[in-house]
Amino acid sequence: MKKVLIVDDEQDIVESLQFVLEAAGFKCYCAYNGEDGLSLAREILPDLIILDVMMPKINGFKICRLLKYDNKYKNIPILMVTARSQVEDKMIGEETGVDEYITKPFELDEIVKKVEGYLKVSSKQ
Amino acid sequence: MAKILLVSENEKKGKEFQEILQKNSHEFSYADNPLMTMDIVKTQLPDIIILDTEVKKFDLKTVSKSIKSFENIQTILLSQSDDIEPELLKTANAFLQYPVSKKFLISTVNANLKTKNSLEKLANSNQELARSLYQLNVLYNTSSQFAGTLDKNKLLEIMVDGMDKSLSFGLACTLTFKSENEPVLIIYSLYKISDRLLEALKLRAALNYKSLFDKKEMPFELDINNLKIEKHVKHSIKEYDFSVLRFDGMFAPIALSENFFGFIEVFRETEFSTEDATCFQTLAQQVSLPLKSATLYEIKEQTNRKLERLERLKSEFISIVSHELRTPLTAIRNSLDILLSGKSGDLTENMNKFLNMAKRNSQRLSGIINDLLDLSKIEAGKMDFKFAISKIEPVIEYVKTNLEELAKEKNLHLITRLEDNFADIYADAQRLEQVLMNLVSNAIKFTPEGGKIELRTEVIDAKDINPVEMFEEELKKLKGKYLQVCVKDNGIGISAEHLAHVFDKFAQIETSLSRKVGGSGLGLPIAKQLLDTHNGTIWCNSKPDKGSSFYFVVPLSSEKNNFMLDLKQSLQKAKVNNSSLALIKLKAENELMQDLQKNVIIETYLNNSFKEIDDKHTSLIMVIPDGDKFSADFLKKKINGYFKDRKNLYPTYAIMYSYGVYPDDAADEVELIRKVNEGLRKIKD
Repeated sequence: MKKVLIVDDEQDIVESLQFVLEAAGFKCYCAYNGEDGLSLAREILPDLIILDVMMPKINGFKICRLLKYDNKYKNIPILMVTARSQVEDKMIGEETGVDEYITKPFELDEIVKKVEGYLKVSSKQ
Repeated sequence: MAKILLVSENEKKGKEFQEILQKNSHEFSYADNPLMTMDIVKTQLPDIIILDTEVKKFDLKTVSKSIKSFENIQTILLSQSDDIEPELLKTANAFLQYPVSKKFLISTVNANLKTKNSLEKLANSNQELARSLYQLNVLYNTSSQFAGTLDKNKLLEIMVDGMDKSLSFGLACTLTFKSENEPVLIIYSLYKISDRLLEALKLRAALNYKSLFDKKEMPFELDINNLKIEKHVKHSIKEYDFSVLRFDGMFAPIALSENFFGFIEVFRETEFSTEDATCFQTLAQQVSLPLKSATLYEIKEQTNRKLERLERLKSEFISIVSHELRTPLTAIRNSLDILLSGKSGDLTENMNKFLNMAKRNSQRLSGIINDLLDLSKIEAGKMDFKFAISKIEPVIEYVKTNLEELAKEKNLHLITRLEDNFADIYADAQRLEQVLMNLVSNAIKFTPEGGKIELRTEVIDAKDINPVEMFEEELKKLKGKYLQVCVKDNGIGISAEHLAHVFDKFAQIETSLSRKVGGSGLGLPIAKQLLDTHNGTIWCNSKPDKGSSFYFVVPLSSEKNNFMLDLKQSLQKAKVNNSSLALIKLKAENELMQDLQKNVIIETYLNNSFKEIDDKHTSLIMVIPDGDKFSADFLKKKINGYFKDRKNLYPTYAIMYSYGVYPDDAADEVELIRKVNEGLRKIKD
């Protein structure tokens, strides 16, 4: 079973994502702040990470940069979720190696489709 | 009553003259050598000197010359013969032959005395005239300086400087207030000021101030303990004390009807004349008018800054609030989606109905938030536009596909009549989709079941557009060819009074209706802003119960139009990012221009610059984002270098060149273009 790590300080968002992704057949791990998210990512080596930008302690971009510059984790696809849609955010995202950018509010179906898409691609590799 | 000196070696003559002159109550003195002569001249300043030409022991010419260096001494020559050296005669005012008759001596002395007095008077009035002229000149210069500034402190400085030049005062005290309710006493002094004089001046200023307003209400409270002091001292070799207060003084308020700016008092050791007083009063009056303008300007600037800050705060507020709203809204929508998907359990018909209601309204809420964000972004100039040569056809298709279902549900006929829908326009297709989606979904909302909605496109010349009175102003600005899109419905229509405000923010026609049909009331204002960015416009024609027609136009793609739009966008970006932009214009013969383009310009600027070339390929205008005068000069040097290396190919080359830089030379694209057009000059080696 493919492992998906969800990191977001909004518990409600995490739970709804967990519900639909588990219904779609993924194993979900959840973290509610950046620090826990980062250590969990290193511990479980997930197949995909859904990451919120604005979080206490370590923000999403920083986690992304730390993982993407590490050979061990750099191939893990990262979907960045944020309420901000400013161009600058997207630019930082590109620089830090974000694979895809999702703006709140999002459709759950859309996320499930995206996760399925990424994990199909990476399973072929 | 004159002082007369006789220079002679003949004592007899001395006695004789003394007797005659003293009898006529003149003061007489006698000298028989040059040393004594000069001593008397220096100490007594005689009015008339009589020189005896018979002197033998010294040279009379030298004495005569020395006397001439003293102003206004009349010399009379005394001689026994007619034979006098011409050189000596030249220096004399009169001539007496010895022996001389008593009457003749007296009358000659008197005549010379009269001449002397007249000359003195003339000199005095000349001096006065010169002084008045100088003062007038100072007044003129000062008043022209007043016109040059809107800085209150600078204006007062100019006034005091003018007074110093025209009156040479010893000390001047100006009481004024810098910011509101902060009185300052500005002291200009020739010498240092003693501490007790300073205290006295403060007290004097307070008394003067109170006396100006007598029993009337004072514009601001004056507490001498909190009175700020500003001292300007010219020389510190001496110090002024209380004696200054015994100098001659003048006082004038600086005020203009209702406005009180302060007052000035000046002191001088010598007495002030009437002319001085006029000059002083004139200067104090003259400064009031520019001071009033300066005050008004200050208020205007403050208000502007406040408004700008508020506008920015508003945009930021909307942006932050909208972002904050998105997160909980996402949680709500997610929960509803999970429930509606049935994955969490079966739903009854009623549950389904109400959950759908909640979902519909959460969608509406996110629509409103998106609109708010869009508007705040456009207003802050932060909306990112992707202009490209495109066609309206895919935009129409997109809107039709997305809204056909909705129209069918309401049993509405959606008809399209497309002409010229493959014409090239220069636009951000996504933004046009946004505009058209809004217009068509509005039409669907406001048209009752069974109604008709028509979508029309055509290329139209600005002068053939049917004028709508309400939007005449906007339509008049259009020039040239446009693609026009019309969305016509036979719905409820809009009354004339509301029609004028449909493009204003938050102005939905009837609140009850808007609640029924949904929407943020921001769709049309956003559409207007989006079309403004395209150099197009939007307007509407409507009759209540007959239906509405919304029109919008975007200019057809042309090199000039596209260039101007790109320039506008680049400038907007430069404004938001606080960066610069350079605009360069080149003019040359066709052949030269082609060479330049191929070999110099493309090589120099490849990255994000863009340009426009006229049909004849003789003039080129290009934009260098982030460019400044150095990047403009760089190109000039490159061109020069290129042609120097090819002297055999182009023995003479004539290239006109000019550039303008935002924000140094111009604030907008129109000014920038004017600047480069006016500044065209030949490139020289």
